[in-house]
Amino acid sequence: MSKLFFDHLLNLEKLDKQIKRVAKSVEEREELWLLVDEIIHHKALGCILDKLPKDSHEEFLTLFHKSPHNQDLLIGYLKNKIGENIEELLSQELGIVSDELLGEIQNPKP
Amino acid sequence: MSHDPPGTTYKINRERIDTDYLRNKLKIKSLEVKNSFNEKYPHVEKFFINRGIDFAKIREHSARVIATGALTGTLLFTPPSGIRNLPAPHEIVKNLADANDNQGGNPSQKELLDSIKRILPEKIGPMNRSQEKALEQVFTNTIGVSAKATLEGEHLNTTYGYIGAEQHLMRYPGDTMATHPKLTEKDEGMAPGRGAWGYVPSENEKWYAVVQTLYLPDWNTRLKYLRDWYKYRKVLIVNTVNGNAVVADIADSGPAAWTGKHFGGSPEVMNFLGGSRYKKGPVVVFFVDDPENKVPLGPVDYNNVNIPGVALREA
Repeated sequence: MSKLFFDHLLNLEKLDKQIKRVAKSVEEREELWLLVDEIIHHKALGCILDKLPKDSHEEFLTLFHKSPHNQDLLIGYLKNKIGENIEELLSQELGIVSDELLGEIQNPKP
Repeated sequence: MSHDPPGTTYKINRERIDTDYLRNKLKIKSLEVKNSFNEKYPHVEKFFINRGIDFAKIREHSARVIATGALTGTLLFTPPSGIRNLPAPHEIVKNLADANDNQGGNPSQKELLDSIKRILPEKIGPMNRSQEKALEQVFTNTIGVSAKATLEGEHLNTTYGYIGAEQHLMRYPGDTMATHPKLTEKDEGMAPGRGAWGYVPSENEKWYAVVQTLYLPDWNTRLKYLRDWYKYRKVLIVNTVNGNAVVADIADSGPAAWTGKHFGGSPEVMNFLGGSRYKKGPVVVFFVDDPENKVPLGPVDYNNVNIPGVALREA
């Protein structure tokens, strides 16, 4: 698996179905998947850094770099530092991204 | 030379434009998001560049970290609460072997489940090599299929994850559900595209699996070899909730990491693993060690006794 610590919050099935419907080849499908993935993890990290005190950014990035997959470690750290339900915030943010992307895919009118 | 009927060319071009338009739109969106992120957090880009990582490709880095951690036994997914109370994997295998002897070599589904649950990590995710080795022995002893987490040096990014329902794959140009074999209820229909290796021969299509080859850390650097190696490679899929097991062959790549799933199964595979309503669930996936190509695709009928409450549990 190529796991990131927030993957358990992702469930973009509708988006996936649309991509499979539109993509004409495996290469094209995988390219679209990777583009969506890039958008998602930039948005997710942006959401986290918006909430995380700036003096904790370096420490968080170091943990993320060492164990990008470690859900318990990183979510635990963020809960401790941010004092909010970071999973709920991330879910909301990722839900918005999903809706935006889905909107663009479902209405592909140049 | 045949020609498209009137109107078809326009239709194809229209679809092509839409696909290209979509790709371009996603590319622009991706660039916008990246630029905005880098403007707001320039220290993040710098942090990863200093460590030789392109943040846009953080999943590749994750796959390498996981692979290294699995080899060195330092994976840290779950706090090891209560782990000291667990027997070592070799003890679990020995207990299973003893149970088999007592039952004249007919181990029950319950014993398989008890064994694998004591080996599997608390949370679904990659296992270390010790856990995988123990499961290999359990599967050989109970299910009767020689399956390996690492075969000929190849290893999936994870061997324990969620499987999701896939659609039938086209067997030839023009294949449709009008002629394609299907399940009697809740069939998933036909995928709009072809499999990762094109049209899938009938003998490979019914019991097929999907794995995330695109996220393998060396997929791009060893593409030619790996594409051939994975093509219709047999895997043993074991439902860790009810113990149902099936041998399938890899016919497509996926699912996308952001679907929350790690493997896919054909309608027939999913139906056998968990019933007609089974769309997602935890499984272990190992390569079948079958150099003489003797292991048939399809359900592994290692035990006809189902356990009340866990057999054919549907997700």
